[in-house]
Amino acid sequence: MSEYIVEMCHITKRFPGIVANDDVTIRIRRGEVYALLGENGAGKSTLMSMLFGMYEPDRGDILINGRKVTFHSSTDAAAENIGMVHQHFKLVDNYTIAENIVLGTEPMKKLLGLFPSVDMKKANEEISELSKRYGLEVNPTDRIEDVPVSVRQRVEILKMLYRKAEIMIFDEPTAVLTPQEIDFLLSIIDSLRKDGKTIILITHKMEEIKRIADRCAILRRGKLIDVRPVADTSIQEMANMMVGRQVNFKQDKKAASFGETILSVNHMTVKNEHHFDVVKDVTFEVRKGEIFAIAGVSGNGQTEIADAIAGLMKISSGTVTLDGKDMTDTSIRVRAQSGISYIPEDRQGTGVVMDFTLRDNLALRKYYREPFSGNGILNFEMFKGYADKLIERYDIRSGEGAKTFVRSMSGGNQQKAIVGREIEEHAKLIIFVQPTRGLDIGAIENIHSHILAERDRGAAILLISLELDEIMKLADTIGVIYSGRILKIAPADEMSSEDVGRYMMGVKEA
Amino acid sequence: MKTKGHFLARRLNGRYASVWVSVLAILLTIITAGILLLIMGKNPFTAFYCFLQGCGLAPKTNYGGGSGMLSDLTDFLNYLAPMMLASLAFIVGFKAGLFNIGIAGQMLISGFAATVLVGYNKSIPAPAAKILVLLVGIAVGGLTGALVGFLKYKFNIHEVVSTIMINYIISYITGFFINNNYVDMLTRTSRVCSPESRLTLTGVVIGGVNCKVPIGIAIAVVMAFVVQFIFDRTCFGFELKAVGLNRKCARYIGVSVGRRIVMSMAFSGILAGLAGVTYYLGYTNTIIPKTLVSMGYDSISVALLGNSSPVGSIFAAIIVTIFQQGANYMSSMVGVAKEIASLITGILLLYASCGTYMKMMARGALQKELDRADDAKRAAFMAEEGGEEK
Repeated sequence: MSEYIVEMCHITKRFPGIVANDDVTIRIRRGEVYALLGENGAGKSTLMSMLFGMYEPDRGDILINGRKVTFHSSTDAAAENIGMVHQHFKLVDNYTIAENIVLGTEPMKKLLGLFPSVDMKKANEEISELSKRYGLEVNPTDRIEDVPVSVRQRVEILKMLYRKAEIMIFDEPTAVLTPQEIDFLLSIIDSLRKDGKTIILITHKMEEIKRIADRCAILRRGKLIDVRPVADTSIQEMANMMVGRQVNFKQDKKAASFGETILSVNHMTVKNEHHFDVVKDVTFEVRKGEIFAIAGVSGNGQTEIADAIAGLMKISSGTVTLDGKDMTDTSIRVRAQSGISYIPEDRQGTGVVMDFTLRDNLALRKYYREPFSGNGILNFEMFKGYADKLIERYDIRSGEGAKTFVRSMSGGNQQKAIVGREIEEHAKLIIFVQPTRGLDIGAIENIHSHILAERDRGAAILLISLELDEIMKLADTIGVIYSGRILKIAPADEMSSEDVGRYMMGVKEA
Repeated sequence: MKTKGHFLARRLNGRYASVWVSVLAILLTIITAGILLLIMGKNPFTAFYCFLQGCGLAPKTNYGGGSGMLSDLTDFLNYLAPMMLASLAFIVGFKAGLFNIGIAGQMLISGFAATVLVGYNKSIPAPAAKILVLLVGIAVGGLTGALVGFLKYKFNIHEVVSTIMINYIISYITGFFINNNYVDMLTRTSRVCSPESRLTLTGVVIGGVNCKVPIGIAIAVVMAFVVQFIFDRTCFGFELKAVGLNRKCARYIGVSVGRRIVMSMAFSGILAGLAGVTYYLGYTNTIIPKTLVSMGYDSISVALLGNSSPVGSIFAAIIVTIFQQGANYMSSMVGVAKEIASLITGILLLYASCGTYMKMMARGALQKELDRADDAKRAAFMAEEGGEEK
């Protein structure tokens, strides 16, 4: 048998306009944890999608156990005992955990000795046994829609185990987890390794690689830069190879000086479209020159807080006051003009019009006002000049400058465009929701420095992030949200990330 | 053939890709229709020439007394005017993300209202009557369109559903009134409107032939440029496009999305209303009860063929109208049922909607060419290296 369980030789994959993988060769040993490190767009996911049969390589070969294979679909890959936990889970929300796991390979029985039907009892038993064996506690009869993200991830892992996967691909598995949940996941990965499974970990977090991986392949712009044993590579080295230059981990953060209160939210309750309270009786305030960060696990009401303050969701009770003026019932545009800027979570779905040019997107806050338009007629010369100014000031990179369609820009540059557009309003309050999600280190540095610069200019900043590292790095004050309530508000230097993690899981004062 | 493939591939990736898609769609349609005609045992070249002759774009061999090429051409323009306006109506909705398939109904109700209110009132002098007809068309079309927008905004009723229903309602209500009050017992259609109110000047003699001069064509061309200007240059058009391309983002930047939906449907309805009065009080002078004109649907093909560009739709409307309007003459000369016109329009729509696929194929072809050049370069390089070794 070959020393390597997976070999991907001279793989090249192109998409319109970009080379996602350029002559990449990786060889993975049986029973190791092999990390793929790279920034967004470096080609990690594309490479693994080819191993999982979702794409076929333009050039190059894939060998499993030394044998050449061609995958036309993920079913072909599954037949070679390859499993994948996707970044966005692929589960049926209104099915039970067991139903999700057996879907496609259901154990069958004959009803009345005649009609074939799914043997759910057997499935439930098999799954609880499997979950006990690997320490992945789940209740097979719970519905997916009722269980939290970390459990959904366990279901995905169980799905691979149920299908007897030997090669397991994890795509950014820790992106949605709290620190405690990350510890748990890493211990699970470790026990899978002890069980003889081969693990491929796609990530851009060096700390995790350092803790769990044996070897690490670094990709940059589609090319394989190096493969290193993790034990003798420092985090700084990995980061430098990943970015292609010296990375500065420390951001200069000046001491904060708080001014008067800009935003005050009083006993705010927000209902979602199903008339269900998603934000419950939330009270906090943000001062001039302060970064107030809301930490929490995804889906606990933090984006709704932002939407409600910006006017996109109705407040069912309570008030929102900006600089002493009541904003509770005003329109979105009035709030924007009164000094609220908002960088929304869903940058492509909400933040930009993808099929507008960069020029038009940068003018979205300005187009209806002098001198960008007069008497309802747009002044495109102003548009162009303004766009060029922002492109330079915020280092927004694109194929054709101002006339590039935003759809063809990278996620990082789309975000720089939104951040630039919103900051240029010189608002009293700037709301950032997940400002660096999915961005590479360079873009993250850029956006973090803008957030700090705005704070130092004297803006009040409301930062909502799922990345605890980001919150710990930037926040002056931290509020932790759980199930729509803010459980704890404290100055950032009085809480450790473990403390915040505990509140994020709903644990109250000990 | 190979060079032609590359030529097309490059055009379909270039700056005017959408124009080339339309040109290609037209060419493919003509080829497909030609093959169909061949299968039927007809000469496709003769048939296509007959389409042009029927529209007054090519001379016929002989003409009846008092008519000539110019009278065919004005007939063609009479049909073209409402076609252009109807496709503009579709485009205005479409740009704002609304699929207005109620154009036929909006045309019918405006035409009916204008006929009853102005067309049957013989006492109004010509210029005033014509202006009134246009105003009634604008008002009734606009209100009908606004109703659709309002239903969407207030009750979240999808415009495709509501326009289909409203089409039926309009068709039966107007049919009921025509049959009860306004029917011409001989033709079983509505009584003709007064010549004073009609938007087509009949019996005009130019160069010795009788012509029907359409006022509507001027209105249609002006409106095409007005619509183009609104979408290219105004805040209103900018907001409509934002609503059409990304409703969530439009809301986020503070556009009142609901109001914009109502306004764009009203604007769409206004153009459909103008199409209605130029059709029922121009191209014809009577209304067939309980019948929606196929133009309401053909206008969708025209809009898509014109890449939903207002000025582009002028050219697209000309192409489609040539087939629609030339079909009668072609049918009598070549002996193919005139329904082939609808068939050709259908094929045209099919090819026009394959535009994205065509662009994708072209991109693939270009990439392959680059690959081949790359391989050749590499092979040449290797050969050179090998040579040196020896």
